[in-house]
Formats: sequence, structure tokens, C-alpha cells
Amino acid sequence: MKTVYAGALVVLLALSALAHQLTPRREVGDRLLLTWTSDDNPARREQIALFNREHPQYELCLDPNNVGMEKVIVQSLAGVGPDLFDCYSYAQLTAYVKAGVAWDVTDLYRRKGMKIEDIWPVVYPNFIYEGKVYGHPTNAATDAIWFNRKLFDKYGVPYPAGDWTWEQFIEVAKRLTVKDSQGRYECFGFLGNRSEWFPMIRQFGGRLFTEDGTRCALNSPEAIQGIQLLQDLIYKYQVMPNPNQESAMAAAGGWGTGTITLFGGGKGAMAHGGRWWLCLLRDPAYKDLELGVTEFPHGPRKVFWGYGRATLVNALSPYRRQAFDFIRFEHERPYNELINNQADALAPVIKFCSGQAFLLNPEYPKEDFNQAWYDVMEYGEPMESSPFVDGQVVQRIIDIQMDLVRTNAKSAAEACRDAAKKIGQEIQKCLEQDPKLKARWERLTAGDR
Amino acid sequence: MKRKWADFIAAMLFLLPNISGFLVFTAGPVIFSLVVSFSNWNLQHTIPFRWVGLKNYLELWHTEDFWLYTINTVYLMLALPACIIGSLILAMLLNQRIRGTVVYRTLYYLPSFTSGVALLILWKALYNPEFGPINALLNWVLNDAHLNGLFQAVLGHPLKPPEWLLSTHNLLGVGTEHVQVAGKNWGVGARDAIMLMGIWMGIGGGNMLLYLAGLSNIPQDLYDAASVDGAGKWAVFRHVTWPSLAPTTFFIVVMSFIGGLQGGFEQARVMTNGGPAATTTTLSFYIYNKAFQEFQIGYASSVSWVLFIVIFAVTIVNWRLGGKQVAE
Repeated sequence: MKTVYAGALVVLLALSALAHQLTPRREVGDRLLLTWTSDDNPARREQIALFNREHPQYELCLDPNNVGMEKVIVQSLAGVGPDLFDCYSYAQLTAYVKAGVAWDVTDLYRRKGMKIEDIWPVVYPNFIYEGKVYGHPTNAATDAIWFNRKLFDKYGVPYPAGDWTWEQFIEVAKRLTVKDSQGRYECFGFLGNRSEWFPMIRQFGGRLFTEDGTRCALNSPEAIQGIQLLQDLIYKYQVMPNPNQESAMAAAGGWGTGTITLFGGGKGAMAHGGRWWLCLLRDPAYKDLELGVTEFPHGPRKVFWGYGRATLVNALSPYRRQAFDFIRFEHERPYNELINNQADALAPVIKFCSGQAFLLNPEYPKEDFNQAWYDVMEYGEPMESSPFVDGQVVQRIIDIQMDLVRTNAKSAAEACRDAAKKIGQEIQKCLEQDPKLKARWERLTAGDR
Repeated sequence: MKRKWADFIAAMLFLLPNISGFLVFTAGPVIFSLVVSFSNWNLQHTIPFRWVGLKNYLELWHTEDFWLYTINTVYLMLALPACIIGSLILAMLLNQRIRGTVVYRTLYYLPSFTSGVALLILWKALYNPEFGPINALLNWVLNDAHLNGLFQAVLGHPLKPPEWLLSTHNLLGVGTEHVQVAGKNWGVGARDAIMLMGIWMGIGGGNMLLYLAGLSNIPQDLYDAASVDGAGKWAVFRHVTWPSLAPTTFFIVVMSFIGGLQGGFEQARVMTNGGPAATTTTLSFYIYNKAFQEFQIGYASSVSWVLFIVIFAVTIVNWRLGGKQVAE
């Protein structure tokens, strides 16, 4: 019996040695393997292929299975993280920096002659934290209104020309909200993407945080007015589906689906979205779609939702210096032109978003709206943040309150006040944990007390 | 003595791989989480690591979210009696000597070995409020079969099919943001949807197999004796089957409580992301969010240990109460 066990031990040791031999190596021939954790956008593969062609010393590969802030941080701290990973918001950037996972590349930017001023300001929060640079944006976007020309033609509504107020928008949306003979909605005038609450509060002069970030300002009358308008679009004017109606029309998952699929399926005449929707809407399944683009409607102020995605370098990667070559690549013409051609929003570097090559892609002659995408960038504002509270916590609180507003379980005023109160409590919790942060907060609020 | 020692060494060497794995991957992390629960560790280098004593435990005691999510967890456990009774009924039906028993057993056990995520996605489609088959049937019953006429007469208004996963209402009127019960919260919503789904998934699972095994172990003599005494079916069940199944029932109840208190994570993660408005966030999902979304590892560890203490206490109570009855 002992011989059997000893034999089993020898076999296990041999298998372990074999597994160790088969462990993927960093070198693929004479190329260094770099891993980029990013979403499974179909455009990503072409971007990677271009980088690999331009940099034959590297083999960059995509890892779409470990996307997620929690995975990247935990894996990186465990020593098995990617070399490059994406950051979708200031809240995520803060978490990556505070966890020590994002690499400060400010000096490298300077040495390589890369200028922040060349990049669209809407994406600064995704890669710049407290004056230091941690990566480079992969794209930049400001949401506008996609509209379905065929539905406009069907219901005899003239195409929108942009620069329109909410009153004008609602009148148009009402004409495009149509029910069938059984009373079910055939088409809604407007499909939201859950981010419109922020530009709406900004348009009425409201803010999420005070300028110095010391307090949540969601309970101001201006912010409440913005959220009330959102609720009214659903329940008073009934031009936007409630979650129930949205779910009834919804399709299954996959990258970037949901509102895009509903819009592509003709369930909405207008939808709030970005140029990157074309990554899906260019699919042959939507070949009959006739698209138009116009500005998002505005209140007293013209503010739209601006955002982007950034690639950060893993500070704990042994190949971070080599990985920075991808960051530099994102600043150069070939990558930026590819982003524009793929319509993965807009290229991150401003100077590459002009000229005939940008305005009209000969492969897609119907896409005559790129100037509109460029024009709205001027009004794009990214989500506000505060250094005194975790952005993920803020997002969770706001998501809950917006759920209640969208399901009409709560008034806009109540939701805003409750959100402000809870965020205020979270700010206090953060201050208790971090003495330096508390000192900074007290200095800023000394005048208020 | 020498031989005993040699045998002991040999035994330990053979056990070493298993014990090492247990210490490194199970006992070690568990003890580590207990230690960390007394700290403010949150993966942020900007916040100095400190031992905070019982602060995390006091904080969760005073955090309304913790109590709300505990209520959500207990709410989903309301399905346990239905699951256990349903499993027993199925087992008794499948214990009959009829043709095709094997096929029926396979069909009923199917949800247990089908991918959980696939089932959750399927149920999400079933619960679609406008086009899902469940609401289509309810619509037919209420409107086409004119049952709403009766509700109109009795309640003063017709009934609508529920919004299921999109509704914050629930059968007990439990509040969404505050620990309260109020009439305005009454209805059928996401919690109930997950509960019903849990019953469907749980009825034909491991509990059914345990009951089948239990039923097959009941001596036929007892049934023969009962038959001779002229006992009817209900009397046979009450005086023969049910008492004989006491040890099986005891085990199922204990394990179901343990599973129920730890459950709800998959449903929240796949179907609802904890919503709408955090009404389907259970303690396990709360721990995950606190630890891996907000990186408050110390606090999340304290919630984990409170959950462990609750599960342990409930198990002890079950053991004391149930154990006595099994012995009787």
C-alpha cells in the first residue's frame, strides 16, 4: 500500500513539473507578451493588431474575462494582474491609485513630449488624479441624441435641428410616442441610458458636489428640478419608458446592448447615446436603419454628459515600462485615426478629430453626422467627484435613489434629499478614517463653521 | 514505541497535502478574516492601517443597510418550508412503483445540475412583465377569464399582473430604505420573484434525493403492520412515514437554514444586481460589495463573522430543538 501512495506522490510531482513547464511564458518567440484587460468591444482586436504591427517587439493580447475593478485590483495585488487595464470613471481611478495599482506616468509624459492639452478635457478625470497622470484615454465622448429618420418620416415629424429646449424636445417626443391597437407602446419618443440625470441637474444650475467637494449638493432646488424633469419624462409626459416598459422591450446581454438594441430595433425614435454606438449599429442586422444625430436638449445651461475610457499601466507589472509604449501609441496618429474610423467614440487627441478623413468615412457614406459629434464635445462635462468620499459608494447611493425615481416609488425631491443625506454620512465616515483628509476638509470648511 | 512513532510520521506525511491545503486555503483565510475584522484595512495606501477593536461590529449594528439586507436575507428564507414540504411530496410521489420513475426523477432533478446562471437568465425572461409567459398567463386569468370582475366587485379595483423583478413591493410590506412595514409597500415584487424561483429550483434537488433515500430505508413491516391495523393513508403518513423521516428532515432543515442565510448572491449578481433599490441585496451580496467594490475589507470581514455567528446560533438552536424530537 505504501508503494501505491509513494507512486501516486511521484506521479503528482511529475505532473506539477509538467504544469510548470507549460505555464504561459512572457516571451512569444522574440516578442514580449503584454496583457490588456479591456471590454470585449469588437473594435478592440483591430486596435491591438495595429499596435502589434507598429511594435513588432511586443505581442499585446486582450483579456476580456477579467474586466472589473475588483478583479484588476485583487489580481494585481496578488501579482497576477494585467500590464494594462481600462478605467471607466474617476471613482475607479481613485480606487486604483489608492490601492497602489495605477502607475504614475507624469514624468514619462514629459520625457516623451506628450501633452495633456492635446487631449479632450472631458476625459481628464479618467486618468489624471490630483495633478498626476496615470495613463491615457482610449477615446472621448459626449452623448447626444440619436434619431431614427424612418420613424420621423413615418409619423410625419421634421428632423430635429439641434439647439433645442426641453419644451421643444417634449413636443417632438410626444408625437413619436405611439401605441398599438392593444394599448401597448409601439415606439417611445425617447430612450434614456441612465446617465441623463447628471447633465439634467447641471443644465438647471445644480451640482452633485459643491465646488470644493466638501458637501453633496444634490438637495439644491436646481438639482431637484433636473431630476423632476427626468421623472416627468416618464410619468407626466410619458415619452420615455419606465423600467417595466423598458424591460418588456429589452433584449439579452452582450457588450453594449440594452438601449442600443432597443433603439436599433425601432422601439425608440430618439435615444441618448454616444458615437461609439456605431460599433454595434454598423452591424448588417441594422442595415436598414437611417440614422441622424442632434444635440441633447438643454435647459437654462447647455451641458451634456461627457465621458471616456482610459488605459492605465499596472504599477505592479514587471513590464510597466514596456507597457507604457501602448500608452504612447494611444497618443499617436495611427491609433487615433483608427478610433475615428471604427467610430469607437472620438479619438482622444483633439487634433486628429478634424479634416475630411474624420468628417466623412468613405466606407460609411451615410454617416454624415460626425461634425455634430465634434460640436457637442464643447459642452461635455464629466461626472463630478469629491476627494472626500468613495465614488463607488456615491454611485451606489445614487443608483438606488434613481431606481426609486424611475419606478415612481419616490418623488424627485425626496430622492435628492435622501441621496444628499446618505452621501453626507459617507463623507463623514471617510473623514474619520483618514486624518489627513479630515484636516484638508476642515481647512476648506473653516469658513462655513 | 519506535514503530508507533514511525507509523505516526508516515500517516502525517500522507495527510500533509490535505492538511496543508486546508490550512493555507481554508483555515488560514478564515482566521485572517477574523483578525482583519478588528482593523480598518481597506486597500488604500493613503489610510494608515489601524486596529480599531470592535468599531466595525458597532458600526454595522448602527448601519440601517445591514438590517435591511438581513431582512432581505430572511425574507428569501420564507421559501424554505415550501421547499422542504415540496421536496417531501415529490419524493413520496417518486417513491411509487410506477413506469417511468427514472425519467420522472431525472426531470425533477434537472434544475439542480443545470447551470445556475443559465437558469437565472431563463427566469429573468420568464418574469418579463409585458411579454413573459408568467404574466401572459396571469393576464389571461385576470382579464380574458374575467376574474378581474370578481376583484373589482370585492376590492373596488381590478388587479394587474406584478412587475416582478422591477418592483420594490413585497408580500409582507417590508420597506425599501428603512426597517419598517407599511401598506404602501405591499404587493408582489423582486423579492417574491426570487423566492418563487428558489422554490422551483429547490424542490427537486438534493432534498428530494435525501427524502427518497429516507423513504427507501423505512422498513416495509411498519407499513404492513399499519395496514393490518386498518390505518388510512393519512394515518400511515402521520404515524409511520413522518416519524421515520425525522432524522432526514432534521438534517434538511439544519442545512437549509445554513444555505438560506448564506444565499441570494447568484440571484443578485446575475438577475438584479441587488436591485431594484437594493431590495434583493442579501448579506452575502452586501459582503461582496463592501469587500470588492468599496474595498472595505475590515468592515466586510466583520459582517462575515456576524453572519457566521448567526448561522452558528441558529444551527445550535435547530440542533437542540430538532435533536430532541428526532430522539423521541
